[in-house]
Amino acid sequence: MQISPENVATLIVIISVIFLIAPIFLVSYVNLYNQRKKKHQEEKEQLKRDFDLEMLRVQMEVKEETLKTLGAELHDNIGQILSLTTITLTSINLEDTVSSTRKLTSATELTRRAIREIRDLSQLLNGENLLKRGLVAAIELELDWLSRLERYTLTFNKKEFNPASSHNNKDVIVFRLFQELISNIIRHAHATEITILLESHTNTLQLTVKDNGVGFTKNKPQKTGMGLYTIEKRAGMIQGTVQFDTAPGQGTSVKIQVPYP
Amino acid sequence: MEIYFTISTVAEIICFLTGVICLYKDSETSWKLLCFYLLLVCSIEMTGMHMWKVLHKQNSLLYNFLLVFENLMVSYFFFYLFKAYKNRLNWLIIWLVTFSISFTSEMIYNHMNSFAFKTVIAMSVVFVIASLYFYYLILKDEQFRRLSHYAPFWWVNGVLFFYFGSTACNVLFDYVLTDTTNITGTIRYYIINILNIILYSCWSYAFLCRYRLRMSQHSS
Repeated sequence: MQISPENVATLIVIISVIFLIAPIFLVSYVNLYNQRKKKHQEEKEQLKRDFDLEMLRVQMEVKEETLKTLGAELHDNIGQILSLTTITLTSINLEDTVSSTRKLTSATELTRRAIREIRDLSQLLNGENLLKRGLVAAIELELDWLSRLERYTLTFNKKEFNPASSHNNKDVIVFRLFQELISNIIRHAHATEITILLESHTNTLQLTVKDNGVGFTKNKPQKTGMGLYTIEKRAGMIQGTVQFDTAPGQGTSVKIQVPYP
Repeated sequence: MEIYFTISTVAEIICFLTGVICLYKDSETSWKLLCFYLLLVCSIEMTGMHMWKVLHKQNSLLYNFLLVFENLMVSYFFFYLFKAYKNRLNWLIIWLVTFSISFTSEMIYNHMNSFAFKTVIAMSVVFVIASLYFYYLILKDEQFRRLSHYAPFWWVNGVLFFYFGSTACNVLFDYVLTDTTNITGTIRYYIINILNIILYSCWSYAFLCRYRLRMSQHSS
């Protein structure tokens, strides 16, 4: 069959139009995808800004918690020691040598205790450096202060933990979560035993804080401290997960798992 | 005089002048090279027109000569654009060798008498693939670029529209030559004119984008 020049001309026009329309769609697609890339990049930057802001907030909270402990310690302990020292010194009767010597010895002992307490407190004040010595050291110091309350039997098991060299951001958040869990126990759990288990297996850090307190109903909204939502959100910031195992009267076990290092 | 000024030649001259104005102070030699290439295109078009319309001589040899420079310029420019993402010197060498073999064979086969349109078809396919690869590199790139002001993007758009759009004309070029009614020849002429307008508009806009980029860098 012979094809006429008119038919070939029509064919050339149709093919050319199709071959011109195709690049229009292609270029539009590239442009559209590029716009999405911009949006994605903006979202990534926003997430990074949010993360930095949250990190700053966490660091502030760690400092606040430290200052709170410091204030309580100054008021309840050192303040008491110094008051006792003042009372002892003012009650000295210089004519009664035996009694004066006894009171002076007692005042000296009280002053030494105050000095010791202040030295320990200065360690706590140096909170910013606390995490530079590692997560274990920070937790140990926190537990050291907790043990002074003499209200809890504390167990800290860290045998299966291998500290990472450069995960300060993660350490700060894990430490802050630990502080908040302990604070919740002190305020609401009415517990007598606290067990802390710190482990690291196959690139995962696992922190378990267990108490024998009153427990709670998981679905009931919590009015206390950070709240469960914020704890989960903070753990999520470092791709971590939180698991609560609790029931009224059964105590509480909170397991935090974080990719590590 | 007006025989030298067709839609295509006017588009080429405007693009060349835009290039000279926008690129004469450009820091990149590759972009400046485009001006020399456009000058060559304009000169050959004018000479070809003179040979065909005034001297009534065949001008296919002249356009074959232009084809070599067209291939060299566009291939090199693609290589330069790819280099910002990945060095593809081996691809450039392989393609230039393939082109040389194809072009020489076709010229020998035709006794240097007709336009090497089969090589043009191969060249168009390669340039279309190169354009698509460039889009792929843009999409894969982490860095966001405002494409409406991105000169390489507009240069590649022109190339894609021109070489992809001319597929039908190139494939049926053999038929067009033998068509005594000249209907297909006229249609081909109009399509090539449209494609030239698209190509040189995109390139002119790309030159303007380069100019704007240079001015913004200069002021900051």
